[in-house]
Amino acid sequence: MPEQTQSPLVKPLKIAIIGNPNVGKSTIFNQLTGLSQKIGNYPGVTVDKKIGMMNYQGSTYEIIDLPGTYSLYPNSEDEIIAHRVLNQLSEVERPDYVLMVIDSLQLSRGMFLASQLIDLGLNLALVLNMSDLAEKHDLEIKGFELFKALGVPILNTDARGSKGLEQIRELIHQKNFSKKSQFLQVDDFIDSSLLQDIKEKFDLSNDYQAYQILRFGLKDKGLPLEKRQWVKNKIDSLNINLESAQLEETKLRYRKITGIIEKVLVKKEDRKVSSNTIDKIILHPVFGYLVFASILLVIFQAIFAWATVPMDLIDGVFADLGTWVSTVLPEGVLTSLLAEGIIPGIGGIVIFIPQIALLFGFLAILEDTGYMSRVVFLMDRWMRPFGLHGKSIVPLVSGVACAIPGVMAARNIGNWKEKIITIMVTPLMSCSARLPVYIILIGLVVPNETVLGFINLQAVALLSLYLLGVIGVLFTAFGLKSILKTDEKSFLMVELPSYRTPRWKDVIITMYNKSKTFVTEAGKVILAISIILWVLGTYGPPEKMEEIRAERDQKIELASSEVEIEEIRAEASSDLLENSFIGIMGRAIEPAIRPLGYDWKIGIALITSFAAREVFVSTIATIYSIGGDPEDDSTIREKLNAQINPVTGDKVFNKATAFSLMVFYVFAMQCMSTLAIVYRETKGWKWPLIQTVYMTALAYISALITYQILS
Amino acid sequence: MTADQLPISKSAVIKDVLDSPLKINLMELGFLPGKKITLQHVAPLNGPMAFRLEESTLALRKAEAALLDIQLL
Repeated sequence: MPEQTQSPLVKPLKIAIIGNPNVGKSTIFNQLTGLSQKIGNYPGVTVDKKIGMMNYQGSTYEIIDLPGTYSLYPNSEDEIIAHRVLNQLSEVERPDYVLMVIDSLQLSRGMFLASQLIDLGLNLALVLNMSDLAEKHDLEIKGFELFKALGVPILNTDARGSKGLEQIRELIHQKNFSKKSQFLQVDDFIDSSLLQDIKEKFDLSNDYQAYQILRFGLKDKGLPLEKRQWVKNKIDSLNINLESAQLEETKLRYRKITGIIEKVLVKKEDRKVSSNTIDKIILHPVFGYLVFASILLVIFQAIFAWATVPMDLIDGVFADLGTWVSTVLPEGVLTSLLAEGIIPGIGGIVIFIPQIALLFGFLAILEDTGYMSRVVFLMDRWMRPFGLHGKSIVPLVSGVACAIPGVMAARNIGNWKEKIITIMVTPLMSCSARLPVYIILIGLVVPNETVLGFINLQAVALLSLYLLGVIGVLFTAFGLKSILKTDEKSFLMVELPSYRTPRWKDVIITMYNKSKTFVTEAGKVILAISIILWVLGTYGPPEKMEEIRAERDQKIELASSEVEIEEIRAEASSDLLENSFIGIMGRAIEPAIRPLGYDWKIGIALITSFAAREVFVSTIATIYSIGGDPEDDSTIREKLNAQINPVTGDKVFNKATAFSLMVFYVFAMQCMSTLAIVYRETKGWKWPLIQTVYMTALAYISALITYQILS
Repeated sequence: MTADQLPISKSAVIKDVLDSPLKINLMELGFLPGKKITLQHVAPLNGPMAFRLEESTLALRKAEAALLDIQLL
């Protein structure tokens, strides 16, 4: 046997943080771990595993953030995680300690989950958070009485203040957790000999764990089939009604908790509630929607105004970097791959960061203040007829800026069907990347005129495109509602928490982590597709490509001025693109896109802009070999306007073609970043593929109708 | 009567939580027999209802509120 060397690095202790939704759990996690967070995977579910490291007085601790839940009985995928992590049968995966955060104002609801954790035999400590609010509400919690009743350490604190966090760090460092045997007698609602059987079969010592196996063992794919079958046989042969056992448990638990609360909680005075006055406006049937609309307007204004500066900067930096690489490095395939494939590919990922970060910043603020639950409350009724949930409003609204954070935000929706529908329709909202395409095409065919004194025709056209996107969302959601099947019942039970001022550090950490997740997860796929597109756009049948290059070099030798050389180069690169594999593909699809009013040149742009919509503008610019500044819209516009169809003698970009293109871009997927994020969120290629095919088909048919009507 | 019929800003005591797959979810949130609820807000067009329950405000759809058997106060 080889000698084993003991690693000097001891494995850090694992501490899981758990709590009801809206108790400030994520704030505590963010503050403890800061920027050291990692996102991992739980096998079999789409929920992310959030892990961070906490360093305190020379020791390192691994902190696991579990999704908020009201009990160990899972309702959404989020809640399955909490159930699974805490019920891990292998000691390795099980957290060493569990820190449960309780909202001081919601003591009995918190104690419900806490008592279940006690019954599981976990090493537990409780944090009574928001004690400042409790004081404001004239509530007093007798900490020692509570400790006597529950038998686990209790920390009374406000984690929003730095003192409270220090206390939590100290608690973890001191390992001030403890195990208490039982809160409830499990054999009060389940036969004890059966519990004994399960404990022997699964090698357990804890009654409540045995009961959890009985309750959820069938659904837990982590268990071997043989054991699941064993559980099923037990349930069937003894004819156990698990539902009623669970109901019985819930009643017993709450009865005992109510008894404790009477001793522990002192209400000094019966007071009127304060959040209510703000809600009179925020939840008002008319003003509530006006407030929501104004907040949206401010957010979009801010995103468009603030994000464009860093986005232009990023765009410029990557363009310069590409140019620099191609001048400094020797000419060749690798240089070209780097300068025209990889660098723009990475640039195409990085450019989304400002929007994603800002949008998530705003979402974090809305969430942190407690406003988001109010939006869910206001919008639920409007979303339901379309198979969506009140919570779908967040992804859809985000989608106007960028579908990527929108799809990421769909994670909060518990019901599988509503979540999938939301993810499927979010990319139909007109995002900011469509804007350059819209603007250039509207500029070509819609006169910049004002009618009725104040209505600008171009603005009307732009607004119509956005509305068309919304119609697409509702239409698609409605269709999916009748196609998708689920046994899950859709319900809305959401807490409207007290209003609080946001924690800015928390907001920043959220922005950072969400951007990081996007870059690392979606980045891989985007980079791969960029490289494929580069290969297809660079290579073609060798003889033809060589011929063009030789002709170009010959002409350059004969050229007399710099300007002339530039023109020759531009023309040659356009010829090269035409004869590359992408060019060949563009020609190949021409018969298919002719009914939409497109020629093969537009076909090339459609293919290249599959990577990202805004690429349409630059591709069109390259194909029509426009020299000079590609950022200058007017030159592109003039050139496009001058394109004449050789067969009909009409303008290529006439009204029918331009509108057909706009409609195409309203509906078409044309964004591999979205594709990558949908793949990530649904953990598979099924949905992103269905989505791409569907959106392309929708775009094609709509564009076809548009062209046929207008031409 | 059930909680979906509660008039706005009126209070009631929960008599029973009716049998349904959502019964446990409601109970977990604290909708328990004997507890007092007050209807604070209703979203337009029979939208969700926001109830005050002890120190918290909880929103339910009408269908879920109909599972709470109540006694008007």
